[in-house]
This record gives sequence, C-alpha cells and structure tokens, in this order.
Amino acid sequence: MKKITYIEAITEAMAEEMERDPSVFLIGEDIGLYGGVFKATKGLQQRFGVERVIDSPISEAYIAGGSIGAALVGMRPIPEIQFADFITPAMDQIIQQAAKIRYRTGGQWTCPMTVRVCCGGEVGGGLYHSQINEQWFFSQPGLIVLFPSTPYDAKGLLKSAVRGDDPVIYFEHKRLYRSVKEEIPDEDFTVPIGKGAIRKEGKDVTIVAYGLMCHKSLEAIQALEKDGISAELIDMRSLRPWDHEMILSSVKKTSRAILVQENSKTGGVMAEVSATIMEEAFQYLDAPVTRVTGLDVPMLPFAPPMEHFFLPNADKIAKAVKKLMEY
Amino acid sequence: MPANEAEKKLTILELGLSNETMLGLFNCMLTSRTLDERLRKLFRQGRYAGTYFSAVGQEAIDTGAAYGLRDEDIIAPSHRDIAASVAKGIPIREMVAQVYARITSPDKGKSHPCHYGSRAKGVINPSSTVASQTIIGTGCAMAFQIQKKDNVMIGLFGEGATSRGGWHEALNYAGIHKLPAIYICQNNLWAESVPASLQAGIERFADRAVAYGIPSMTIDGNDVFLVHKQISDAVKKARNGGGPTFIECLTYRWYGHSEIDPADYRRKEELEHWKLQDPILRAETTLIELGLLTTEKKEAMIDQINQTIDEAVNEAEAAQYADPEEAYNDVYSDPFPVRREEN
Repeated sequence: MKKITYIEAITEAMAEEMERDPSVFLIGEDIGLYGGVFKATKGLQQRFGVERVIDSPISEAYIAGGSIGAALVGMRPIPEIQFADFITPAMDQIIQQAAKIRYRTGGQWTCPMTVRVCCGGEVGGGLYHSQINEQWFFSQPGLIVLFPSTPYDAKGLLKSAVRGDDPVIYFEHKRLYRSVKEEIPDEDFTVPIGKGAIRKEGKDVTIVAYGLMCHKSLEAIQALEKDGISAELIDMRSLRPWDHEMILSSVKKTSRAILVQENSKTGGVMAEVSATIMEEAFQYLDAPVTRVTGLDVPMLPFAPPMEHFFLPNADKIAKAVKKLMEY
Repeated sequence: MPANEAEKKLTILELGLSNETMLGLFNCMLTSRTLDERLRKLFRQGRYAGTYFSAVGQEAIDTGAAYGLRDEDIIAPSHRDIAASVAKGIPIREMVAQVYARITSPDKGKSHPCHYGSRAKGVINPSSTVASQTIIGTGCAMAFQIQKKDNVMIGLFGEGATSRGGWHEALNYAGIHKLPAIYICQNNLWAESVPASLQAGIERFADRAVAYGIPSMTIDGNDVFLVHKQISDAVKKARNGGGPTFIECLTYRWYGHSEIDPADYRRKEELEHWKLQDPILRAETTLIELGLLTTEKKEAMIDQINQTIDEAVNEAEAAQYADPEEAYNDVYSDPFPVRREEN
C-alpha cells in the first residue's frame, strides 16, 4: 500500500496501461515535455517517447477525431482535453462519431477511446477554466461517462476505461488533483464501470453525489451527525451507465433523497436520477426528491464571492437535508 | 483538361499503366455507374425508403483512388462514394442490402442509404456530418505511423467539406507529422446547392493544402487513368514515409444532391458541357483506341454486372427487416446492455 494523490493515481494508471499495452497512447495540448498544465502526464513522454505521448496543436476536433480514427484501427488512445471548457470543438466528433460508430455500422467498427477531461470549479479558474459540462455526454447513448472522486477510483476507473471497448468520457476534477490522498494497493486493480460506492452508511436520508460534491457531502454529513441526522452517501462514480440498483435500494431504505451536483440545475445528471426515483420508488418516499446544484446561469462567475455563491457546499447541503427532514 | 500549372498533359502511354489495370479501372467504373443508375431507378419506383445520393459523373476519382489498394489500407469516404466501395471490394449484395436497410446489411438497417462501409475491406462507413471522415481518416494514418505499418489512408471529400474547421485541423496535423495520408478533393463545383465560388475565396482548392505544408495538385478528375496514376504515386510515396499529398480532382455530379433535389440551381449548358466529359465514355474511347476493348466486350461486361446487381436486388427485396428490437443492439460492448423499456 502507498498513499498517493488523485492526480498521481491518474498518472500511474496511464503509465501502467502504456507499459502493459503498446496500443495505448496519449495525445493532447502541452502533455509532452511540459507534462500537462496540471502535470498529469509528467515524465511520460521521456519514458514512452514522442510517438506515444503526442503534443497536439490547439485542435480539439482533431484530438478527439484523430483518436477515434486511431481507435478504429487497433489503438487505444487516451486523448486529453486540457479544460472541459475547451471541449466544444470536439463535440461533433464525440457525439456524432465516437458515440454512434458501433451502432450505425452494426458493430463492425468500435471505438475504444478514453477522453480525459479536466473539469470543475472552486479553483478560481473563472468562466472558461471551471466548467464541467458532463450532462452533454451523460445524455448521449453510446458513451460511457465516468467521474471519480477518490485516488483509488481515479486509477481503477481509468484502467477499466482503457481496457474496455467503448468510448469513455472520463472527468477528473482539478480541485481534487492534490487535495485528496489515499492509500491504494501496489498491485494492479480496476474499478468496475456502472457501479456506485456507498461512502457512508446512514438511515435517515440518501445523498447522491459525484466528484468534488462527494467531499462536500461528507462534510455536510459530519455536521448533520451533531444534529442527530444519519445520512447515507452514494458516490455515483460512473454516470453512464449509473447504478440504479444501489441508489434505488438506498432511497427505499431512507425514504428521502438529496441529489447534489456541481453543475447548473436544468437538464443535469440529477434531473435524470430524480425522474428515475419518481418512476421506480415513488411509494417509498416521505418527502420530495430535492436537488442541490450550481446556479442556472451560463457559467461559473469569477469574483470569489460569486463563485462561492454559485457552487453547492457543505452548508447548502446540510440546510437542504434539514429542510427535507422537517417536511 | 483544366488549366494546371503543376502538371502537363500526359499521354496514356506515358502513364505506364498495365492493360490489366486499365481494364480493371474501366470495369469498376462501369460497375459503379450501372449500380448507381439502378439504385436511382429503384428509389423512384418506391422500392426502398429514405433517399439516394447518386455519384454518376464522378466515378473516375473514387475508382482511381481505391483501385488496387490493400484491405488494410483505409478509405474514409463521404456518402457519395459508391465507386470507392466498389473498387475497394465491398460485395454488391452488401451494398444493396444496406440501401434497402435489410437484416442482411452489415449495419442491420440502422444507417441511411449510401452509407456503405466494411471493416474487412477497410472502408469506414461515412456519417452525414461532412468532413468528419477526413478527421477520423487522418487518425487512422496517425495510428499507422505509430504502429510503424506501411498502410495508407485515402480521404475522399467534396470541395464543400473543406470549409469546415475540423477538416483544417486534420490537414494541419497531417502536415506536421507527415502522415501516410492522401487527401482527394472531389471538386464537383456544387456543394448541394452552393457554388464553389461561395465556398472559398480561392479558385483552386488545392491551394488550401499549401498552408499545411502538404504538396498538392489540381487534375482532370474525369480521366480515370490520370487520376489512378497520380494517386498511386502518392500512395507509394506515403508508404515509403514521404508524407501526405493533396489532389484536387475536377468533376461534376450529373444529378441532384439526392434524388429529391431537382438541381435546378444549375445551368443546363453547364451540365451538358460536363456530360461530354463523361469519365466512362472517355476511358472507353481510350481503351478502344488501344485495342483493349470492343463494343462486344463492353456489352459482355455490362451483362455480367447486371447479373450481379439483379441477384443482389432480388436478395435484398426477399430479405426481412431486422426485428425492431435490434434497435437495442450494438450500443455498447457486451458488458453494458441497454435498459429495455416496457412498451
């Protein structure tokens, strides 16, 4: 066992997969000698060479589309999108090509590609360095969408993504890169796609979250314990497919659900989770399913008080839980 | 013959193609034309749904590009590249089944007519987002370079596709890394209803490649022998690590963008002018002059082609559509089945 950070887990996963399988390669902006703007690919070009750790021009459409092409002929690319905010030029390739090529060709062509997307707020990144936009991909059948919150999951899910035969959008939260550390096994391991994780068991209310919001929810849960409220926390980890069974059985047990998402409210991941709870567990509920989310405004504003105002945090989550308990 | 600074008119003998290659090219073009005209007719008879995208008039380019490639070489076509699919060896029966959207089609009826493709034959099924195939194809060439294989990628697209941003990103990348890619711009003067003059501020689309450090030329796209020679040279160069080539081929589509387009935005004289440049008629004339073809031999070729097409059409029309539940398949790899709705 060794204690590593979230970003070290990501670097290790890539290095080990490249070591294991010569068809794995990396492409992205500033990922070569520079090691990436957050240093996720530090040392990898020196170790694996310029042909497998490629500094791309500023061309997100090509980073994604070129990776798809490479995947069609036997490679397992891990393209990096430096900031989620910059992924829009790649949308045509991800949505129209990666997500659909297996389907529209009757399975003749497949796209084993893992797009790493650096995302998230609470780093003072402002308008164009704080976005997540996971809901765009979440709503697209044919894609797998992952969002780890711990170093163990970051490593294990990334390995599962690279070894799988589907296109994966892998969100990594930049606020977590160096703020969370965890002991992980020395030997090879993977984390299954499509399975959530119960981070804290409880009986009064179910909190569902992913990414940074898991950590905010855990803070809230500690505060709620002082008020005698026992909350269960489910970390979705895998957004598409997501673990219906785990969430529904928890809600059936607690009869209350708080759904936490960093991104804006409308049309988000939690809207879908909420609808599913209503369809499949309505008769178990003691209170309305409630969301705690980012604001429904175009993007996260820069000024620190406004950024704070935009984002969900432990106080907002705890407040929502208390309100729900009083319903 | 269009004006072209880079290249003089070569005589058929100077091209140095073998008799077998010349006849093979002709047969492929003839197959594509005959199949194309039949599929148009079948659509007009209401024998299959959707629409149809004819490539009649443009066969020389696809044929010249795809003929003689290896299965491992990749063709990244658009929806108007029936001739490339024929020349790369996709069976006619698969192509007709695809148009008819039957269970016998490799895509099991999920894709729209004319989106032919085959992993076994190295043809990436096109989508309808123009220029996407160029970006993906360039990724295949990138992979060949990483894999140290001497396969090549041939990207086929119309002049209209060269206006999209991602297309430029792909060519820029190919220029930087000297990828084994050959870019074939089929300039048929019209992108659906928009003339080339409203597509670019330059007259020669080959000039676009200059910005990416990719050698380029503009050639007569209705001369199959010239097209094949120029593309074959580019293929050889790419296989040997010489990097990409861009070839603009001038041509004309005889019919509308699809069968529901009367193409009344074009002048009749323009169409008549180009019909005189029919690539099949021109190749036929050359082959007869060389003593390689006779009218009887051509008729025999057409009979053989029609027989294959008849069989393919009969088979497609006799085949069933896939069970609608097929809609749930091929979304993900096996570990991730799609949740089925109760309805």
